[in-house]
Amino acid sequence: MKITSTAVAGTLESSDVYVKVEPCDALEISIESVVYNQFAEEIEASVKNVLNEMGVESGKISINDKGAIDCVIQARVETAIKRAGGNK
Amino acid sequence: MDFNGFYEEFGEPFIGRKRKKLKEFLQKSELDYDEQIEYTVNLADGDGNIVATGSIHQNVLKCIAVSDQHQGLGLSARIVTLLMNYAMERGREHLFLFTKPKNLLMFSDLGFYKIIQTGDILLMENTRDGIKNYISKLSRPENPGTVGAIIANCNPFTLGHRYLIEQAAAQCDTLHLFILSEDKSAFSAKVRYELVQAGVKDLPNVYLHHSSDYLISSAVFPTYFIKDKSKAADANCELDIRIFCEFFAKELGISKRFVGSEPFCEVTGAYNSAMRKLLPDYGIEFIELPRKESGDLPISASFVRKCMAQGDYESIKQIVPQSTYDYICSAEGRELAEKLAAQECGNER
Repeated sequence: MKITSTAVAGTLESSDVYVKVEPCDALEISIESVVYNQFAEEIEASVKNVLNEMGVESGKISINDKGAIDCVIQARVETAIKRAGGNK
Repeated sequence: MDFNGFYEEFGEPFIGRKRKKLKEFLQKSELDYDEQIEYTVNLADGDGNIVATGSIHQNVLKCIAVSDQHQGLGLSARIVTLLMNYAMERGREHLFLFTKPKNLLMFSDLGFYKIIQTGDILLMENTRDGIKNYISKLSRPENPGTVGAIIANCNPFTLGHRYLIEQAAAQCDTLHLFILSEDKSAFSAKVRYELVQAGVKDLPNVYLHHSSDYLISSAVFPTYFIKDKSKAADANCELDIRIFCEFFAKELGISKRFVGSEPFCEVTGAYNSAMRKLLPDYGIEFIELPRKESGDLPISASFVRKCMAQGDYESIKQIVPQSTYDYICSAEGRELAEKLAAQECGNER
């Protein structure tokens, strides 16, 4: 799946995550989190996991995490990508 | 999501009684309601009292406040999320936000980054290092020598602009020319840029740029686009000038800023006198060049538009370069002239 437009998913409320995806030639993942020091690597792994599953190879993914659990992060990323792409 | 019974109210924008209520609420937080607001989100309690609010105009978030009794519940995050989604649905990705300096941390948490602070205003954007990245991408020569800058709307490009640019280009080795990107003028941003491009292509030391959101845009200089004389005095232009000095001038090595003298438009006049005061603080020379005159015709873009409305193509021909004249005579230009004529009739009524 290719990211063809900018899209967002999620909220900035506590225990949620705000995901923004934009078209980009390379794959760029930027992560901000209230628990960055503890979980930055896990968050990145979750994001990459979803990207792999959906076959996304390029795009700018910005994560603003407010302490979301893993399944929330994955769901939000998936939604944002589906909103941004659509066509396989 | 439920917030202990708080419910959302949306105004596009609020009017009448609801607006009055909102104004009163903002006053408690020492904020004024901005008349340009196009969309507002409120959170209200069961009795209909506002507990938190936020608004947006174009790509600028403003008038965000949470009542003292409801701090710490994350209500501002809810408000900002709703505003961001509203903007995103309308394709506005690059957002700005005005707030008080004490709120820096709160909005940093919500994904905003500081651009600049003047007095008691803090301007933030939702891209990390957005302004620095933008400026670092601007084309420039390797050995710039003396660098000058002009920022102009060129609505449309006339021989007056051409004269100003020629004069300025002769006084420096590199001239950066920024054309306003805001689409609020009769001629679209794309057309204005193309006409300037055609009109200055024989000047090798002129570097043409889009002004982007950072120079004289509705984000950094909202009052520029309200051509209202009563507001000219308090034209909020300090922010714009400081952004120019601290980011653009620093990065591009600009030491001269050229403007054409402005006898007609009061907002531009106020802006020029503010620059005269502020630019020397940054070691930038402010150079005002006299307007070119052509017989008894004033060379001004507004005069060109007036002639278009009246169908006076002979006068236009004398004060614009061939490329601009060609556009005005094209089908697209004729269409625009009809629109201008219709506006003129409307104004007289």
